[in-house]
Amino acid sequence: MEEQKGANPKLIVAVQMTSIGIILIILGITAFILSPLDPLVNPRMTPFIRMWSIISNSSMTILGVLFAIGGLIRHKQAKKV
Amino acid sequence: MSSDLIIIGMYLALMFTAGIFFSRNIKNTADYFLAARSAPWFWIMGSIWATNIGFLHGYLAHGGAAYEWGLIQANFEWFQGPFGYVLTGLFFIAFYWRAGIFTVPHFLERRYGSGIRVIYSVAWLIFFVITIAAELYLGGLFLKRLIGLPFWPTVLVLTGVVGTYTLLGGLGAAIMMEFVQFVIMMLGTMPLLFILLNMTGGFEGIKDVLINQWHISDQYFSVLPDNHHPYGPGPWIIMGQCFVVTIGWCAGHQSMVQRNLGARSLYDSKLGYIVAAVPKTLGAFLYIVPMLAAPIIFAQQGIFVEKADAAYGKLILNLLPAGMLGLFLAGLVSAGLSSISSVLNSSSTMVVKDLYERFIAKGKSDHHYFVAGRIATFGVIVVSLLLVPVVLKVSLIMWLEQTLLAILLGPFMGILILGIFWRRTNTPGSLIGYLAGSAFAIWYQQIWGQNIFFKISWWSFVVTLVVTVITSLLTKRPQEEKVEGLTWESDFHAKVGAIAERRAESSGIKITAMPHIKITMPPWYLNLKYWATVILISQLALLLFFG
Repeated sequence: MEEQKGANPKLIVAVQMTSIGIILIILGITAFILSPLDPLVNPRMTPFIRMWSIISNSSMTILGVLFAIGGLIRHKQAKKV
Repeated sequence: MSSDLIIIGMYLALMFTAGIFFSRNIKNTADYFLAARSAPWFWIMGSIWATNIGFLHGYLAHGGAAYEWGLIQANFEWFQGPFGYVLTGLFFIAFYWRAGIFTVPHFLERRYGSGIRVIYSVAWLIFFVITIAAELYLGGLFLKRLIGLPFWPTVLVLTGVVGTYTLLGGLGAAIMMEFVQFVIMMLGTMPLLFILLNMTGGFEGIKDVLINQWHISDQYFSVLPDNHHPYGPGPWIIMGQCFVVTIGWCAGHQSMVQRNLGARSLYDSKLGYIVAAVPKTLGAFLYIVPMLAAPIIFAQQGIFVEKADAAYGKLILNLLPAGMLGLFLAGLVSAGLSSISSVLNSSSTMVVKDLYERFIAKGKSDHHYFVAGRIATFGVIVVSLLLVPVVLKVSLIMWLEQTLLAILLGPFMGILILGIFWRRTNTPGSLIGYLAGSAFAIWYQQIWGQNIFFKISWWSFVVTLVVTVITSLLTKRPQEEKVEGLTWESDFHAKVGAIAERRAESSGIKITAMPHIKITMPPWYLNLKYWATVILISQLALLLFFG
């Protein structure tokens, strides 16, 4: 049974990290933009809930940025090898 | 509501696009079924947890049960789950890895022969197809009830997204998406806990209202209740659920094991499984603890909940503002999709590796099996979709799921433990023991009328052990070369050999005839034993506090 040459495992992880990063960045920013943080516009947005909304969206975006940068660095390293 | 729909739509579109983009890297069966054996430990951790959490086994069902029965539901997250993860990571995964297999049934064949492989894989395949159909059904129903999306178009869109990325990208795409889903579930749904605790005066505030003012039994706040509890008697949770079902699930469920086989090393595989106990423990704070506060919120806001399963949806719909609700719903959809993708990928692996390649088309090219894998994935999607209308008869599905699990897990644990720890276990013993345990489980459930699942699993496990031991002793001893490398004894000898070799090398003694396993020492903060100890101690602390 002949085996076809498989993918470079390091490249696979790099692509995965970059994709995860981009998805999280887009989703975090979209959720932030679409959440009306003003209690007058959105009566359910009490100060406590607003704080958690900001924490949730911003941590998702920051994590996304870290993954995207990490993925790009790994991508370069994998290509060199 | 429109902003929430945009967030969900955006999330699904991103999944779809990333799946297609990723699939360009997949070239052969090892890439497709085992993600090119590339996954680092943190991928495994996120993926294992996301696989374990779905609509069926997570937010809706577990959350609903917690609303009805209380903190007992957290025994999955604070006791059994972490225990099963740690034990599987420390002991069982190494055997699968060293056997060089793609599937759990493949391991059973290596140890016991092809009969058990066919029985086990066919039973799991039926279970998997039902699981996918049930997850799709619950996803469609949930989004219809909560935000009014039409049922069938929603089911078709969910199937299209998860089907596309799993079909094209295989395990690599599934693991990648599961990690995204892990992050979204954690960050998108965790704020609900703090919001609810803030509204109800914390955990002590909830206890005060429910126990002192509403006079609800303090068993509502016990993880391991006494022996008379109708939902889950404590001792049976420990024996049947923890030692048989959970470990059987962690070590015998193809979706759970396959992620570990896709790891870049045995060490990553083990560490990923062990540290997955951390998000597993946190899971109780996402869908169990919030549901303890739910009755108080519903009473305050005058909301009526007709069924426990609907409680979680009503809670978030009435509490969360626009935008935040969208992210939360994306987290819930993630739970369903992660479950579906993992089961879908595992089903196609079992169809191709355990049935097609083994019995129908032997010795074909790798590309042939790679294409067969994609066709099998498509076939499983179609069959599951056709089953969705049948799932409407939920009682039938629950009956079939429970029966299949009872048949699968207790007997499986029996032959796995004997197979690894007792070299004398042979093929006739395992086959007759497995069938006897399964027959007993069906009889005990369907004719005797036992409805406590833990008891069925425990006694079917015991029956399997006894019958397997007796039959093995009455029949021929297995050939030594057949069991070599597949039992704990050989694993132990190999490790001792490697350690002795290392010591001998450091003393300047040259040894040539030693069994070879390369052991590299990780930094202290990634030591498996430290992590396992910390996790088990934290479980003990949780049990002492809430037990």
